[in-house]
Amino acid sequence: MISIDRRIIFLLIALATSLPLLHPFGLPIKVSPEVRAVYEYIENLPEGSVFFLSLDFDPSSKPELEPQAMALLRHAFRKNLRVIGMTHWLTGTGLADDIFSKVAKEMAKESGKDYVFLGWSPGTGSLVISMGQDLYKAFPSDHSKKPIEGMPVLAGVRNLRDVTYLISLAAGNPGIEMWYVFGKDKYRFEMAGGSTGVMAPGLYPFLRSGQINGLIGGLQGAAEYETLIGQKGTAVAGMDAQSADHFVIIALVLLCNLFYFVLRGEKGRPGFNA
Amino acid sequence: MPEHLIPTSNLIGGWVAVGLTLFIFSFLYKDNPLFKLGEHLYVGISVGYSVVVVWFEVFIRLVWQELTKGNYEPLIPVMIGLLIWTRFIPKIAWLSRLAFAFVVGFGSGVAIPRVVSSYILKQIEDTVNPLVTMAGGSVSFSLSFANPQSGINTIILLIGVVTVLFYFFFSVEHAGFGYATARAGIYFLMIGFGAAFGYTVMSRMSLLIGRFADLIKFSSSDYGYATLVLLAATIATLVSWELRRRRSGGAE
Repeated sequence: MISIDRRIIFLLIALATSLPLLHPFGLPIKVSPEVRAVYEYIENLPEGSVFFLSLDFDPSSKPELEPQAMALLRHAFRKNLRVIGMTHWLTGTGLADDIFSKVAKEMAKESGKDYVFLGWSPGTGSLVISMGQDLYKAFPSDHSKKPIEGMPVLAGVRNLRDVTYLISLAAGNPGIEMWYVFGKDKYRFEMAGGSTGVMAPGLYPFLRSGQINGLIGGLQGAAEYETLIGQKGTAVAGMDAQSADHFVIIALVLLCNLFYFVLRGEKGRPGFNA
Repeated sequence: MPEHLIPTSNLIGGWVAVGLTLFIFSFLYKDNPLFKLGEHLYVGISVGYSVVVVWFEVFIRLVWQELTKGNYEPLIPVMIGLLIWTRFIPKIAWLSRLAFAFVVGFGSGVAIPRVVSSYILKQIEDTVNPLVTMAGGSVSFSLSFANPQSGINTIILLIGVVTVLFYFFFSVEHAGFGYATARAGIYFLMIGFGAAFGYTVMSRMSLLIGRFADLIKFSSSDYGYATLVLLAATIATLVSWELRRRRSGGAE
């Protein structure tokens, strides 16, 4: 067991992943307080509030963050919020545009009237400061090259101070922390974050200190949000596979430790020949 | 086109996605030409895509269109940017320092106050939360693991911060009470690393689930059994490559 061929582990993981995807067994999903906080904040926003969604990731994090983005957009559109979208990740521009178009089509929302996708622009922190001063100078046109000045979705919006709630879905930097440092701390809008699982533990100090008011972590967080809006998607479908994978990993860790201690005990006995 | 038929672009996209996923997964067997092909395509396409987006979004949208409107402000950052290229001409390479000085000076000036405020002051403020709070004339002290602002969590946080900081304080010998404090710091660190590793495993598994979900989706008849066809082709290519490699004495 100690010198098990790693390809056997790959095979076990492949089986644990594919079988629940083919035949889901529907394990219950418990909603955490940090995900519920995001849901409740959006739920309590009055119709027409300005909701800013920054999709700060690229296709390599799509499985974790696309379900979060889709669930949040569905919720925002259902609440008739005015949605502004953008990305700080150049290689994520196409994916972000695709997510906005897909959900808008599904919810019968119109670009320019119900939402606007600004696309990508260079600058990260400097860009946020520029948007905080004048959104129309930072983004004269949206991703499809239409001038954003005069769009009904941006009526009364001059800069980031006019944003009611901002969520950054991030796979690294620039992302949630950058939005907090250069955005919320200066322009005083409320914000939350959604992140990959790898980043989530590092964001809990920001959650605890109230710098962000909620956190959606990884595929699990996306599944919790899908459960809250009552529209199950790819994240909920992946939860059984996730649990099965974790079960296999825990079992392998326990078994390897068991064999390790048994072997160590035998090595200590007189007459043992390795 | 009948409504149930998948658009050709999606069909091609599905086949490409399945092929490249299987090429990358083939590394689990061993390094091979299919994996290298997928890897090189990933790097090349990422760079190509970035160059095109930067050209249109930065040069055309932010510079060229503004100049044609009679706004010459963008020429200032363009000139500063061009100075960086003087690194390639040794005689005037010193000019690039002006650009770097601007970038470092502006970057530091903008970032330092904000970073100090967000990462240090706000976090210290949270670390020294009061144990007892007074609101409306009554004193309250909550003991609940579920409430982040409760007294018990504040105590744990404070002990964790102090012991971990002490562990990294090397001017005093870690003996006696100092040893116990440093050991406690190590335990806090280990719990932190364990939580981070657990989340990392969860994250990696999520990515695997995403790829498997796509492979299952593209294995349907709608997509022409892309996964099954390309899986067979990938395995056949790997077997043929392995046999040829063995015949030639292991040289790739």
